[in-house]
Amino acid sequence: MSANGTSRLNKGTSRWTHCRKRGADGNLRKSLEVGEPDKCSQSSRRQESFTTPESEGPVSRVKNWGDEVEAEEMRSNVQRDMHRYRRRILEADFPQRDRKISSGSSDSRDSKDSKESPAKGDIETDETTLIRRQKQINYGKNTLAYDRYIKEVPKLMRQPGVHPKTPNKFKKYSRRSWDQQIKLWRVKLHAWDPPAEEGSDLQQIEEIDLGEIMEFELDVECSADTEFQCPTSSGALLSLAEDSFAGTPKKMMKIEDAEMS
Amino acid sequence: MAKSACAPASSPTTQGNDANKQARGFLVHRLNSMDSAWTALDVVTQTMVQKAIADPKTVDLEKLSDAIVEQSLKDLSFCKDAGRMCYAVVQAEAQKAATSAFRRNLLTRLQQEFTGREQTRSHSVQEWVCLVTFICSIFDYIKVNDAPLVALVDPIYDCLFRLAQPDALMNEEEVDCLVVQLHRVGEQLEQTNSQRMNQLFYLLRDGFLLQEDLSSMTRLLLLEILEFRASGWTLTNTAHKYYYSEVVD
Repeated sequence: MSANGTSRLNKGTSRWTHCRKRGADGNLRKSLEVGEPDKCSQSSRRQESFTTPESEGPVSRVKNWGDEVEAEEMRSNVQRDMHRYRRRILEADFPQRDRKISSGSSDSRDSKDSKESPAKGDIETDETTLIRRQKQINYGKNTLAYDRYIKEVPKLMRQPGVHPKTPNKFKKYSRRSWDQQIKLWRVKLHAWDPPAEEGSDLQQIEEIDLGEIMEFELDVECSADTEFQCPTSSGALLSLAEDSFAGTPKKMMKIEDAEMS
Repeated sequence: MAKSACAPASSPTTQGNDANKQARGFLVHRLNSMDSAWTALDVVTQTMVQKAIADPKTVDLEKLSDAIVEQSLKDLSFCKDAGRMCYAVVQAEAQKAATSAFRRNLLTRLQQEFTGREQTRSHSVQEWVCLVTFICSIFDYIKVNDAPLVALVDPIYDCLFRLAQPDALMNEEEVDCLVVQLHRVGEQLEQTNSQRMNQLFYLLRDGFLLQEDLSSMTRLLLLEILEFRASGWTLTNTAHKYYYSEVVD
């Protein structure tokens, strides 16, 4: 019964959901191609609420228990992550000789991190921001590419620069800087996309990244954030997207045209 | 009316005395009986639950949650403990599949039933009582990062308020439900919202004192819960002896 402004994207009825592992309801997609017709008709009925990474939950008149509980869960997860992160920074500042820093399955860390790490007071603590960032991270982790990536490359074997690294949601970054990091991270992850049935890898990138950026667009437009300059920045984001991605396929097409003629 | 009122042994009519003993016998019996949600389920659903816990991805979790809600509305002995079983499935899904489809669908179904509760009550008090019991069982067992489901607090209060209305106090079934749920989740509810608990108890005191046509059983149950809360959601030894000792003729 929960609804999502980007339900079409999440239900697999649009082009750019090729590599989405799960639908908005959390269920694993059985087929990766087209969403089930039954679910499509259901989703078109239920635009009663609208969830974005900006809002703390569904923006609707009637509260949906499922949504409320999930929002609460995300909030408490983020709080828990923050406590862990704080402890970890403290440990890194006062390293204990025999202790090995174990690689847990969290988004952020690293002994290297701690050297450049902010002073203890300087971590991002705003809950709205953390939740928004966590949702963006979850989008990225909820992909087949990410699944394949973590299976293929254990954390210990990751090489900085070569292997994508999840952005650290606790560090202070501007909104644009963070969104850019996420975008770059997602692009890098695409290297682990499952082989497509048709079309080139490049075509996949075009479809999916435009989709993701459109999601950000949707989020930015509907955000209650006043600190972030919506009109100019979103415009910039969009033109950036078009420059980086719309440009490339065109070039490719030209070459192909040339080759074919 | 005062003559047949529930009274301590030293006082009036044998009629009143017998009613009192009977009521207390009931309380003791309830303490002793073991309800099992598990055996109340049919074999098909039992199998589904076991499979869901072992490997959540192999089971249609939405279907399972629907089946469980269906069963809960029919069988009171089931819903008392069903929360525990549901939580097992929720945890299994979270740990093994990293999703929460079962919990989500369960809550959605529950919310639907909750929204239609007045209608449910008017065509079947039993179903209504099952619904309240089940929601409270879910609230009791299912936690989110060790915290209770805050989303259910106000709805549960709404149900309890309904049960404390004069017409509901006339049905022993409903009164029983009310006090049982308060025993189970009263303290947690009060911690999350004490104002509403205070308001609820105003109603209960009023009912106990002013409503003339209440049965002895009802009055016993109300008095016990009033004492229970007043002692900090527990009973003093002497009170416990009064309400729960084996009744000897």
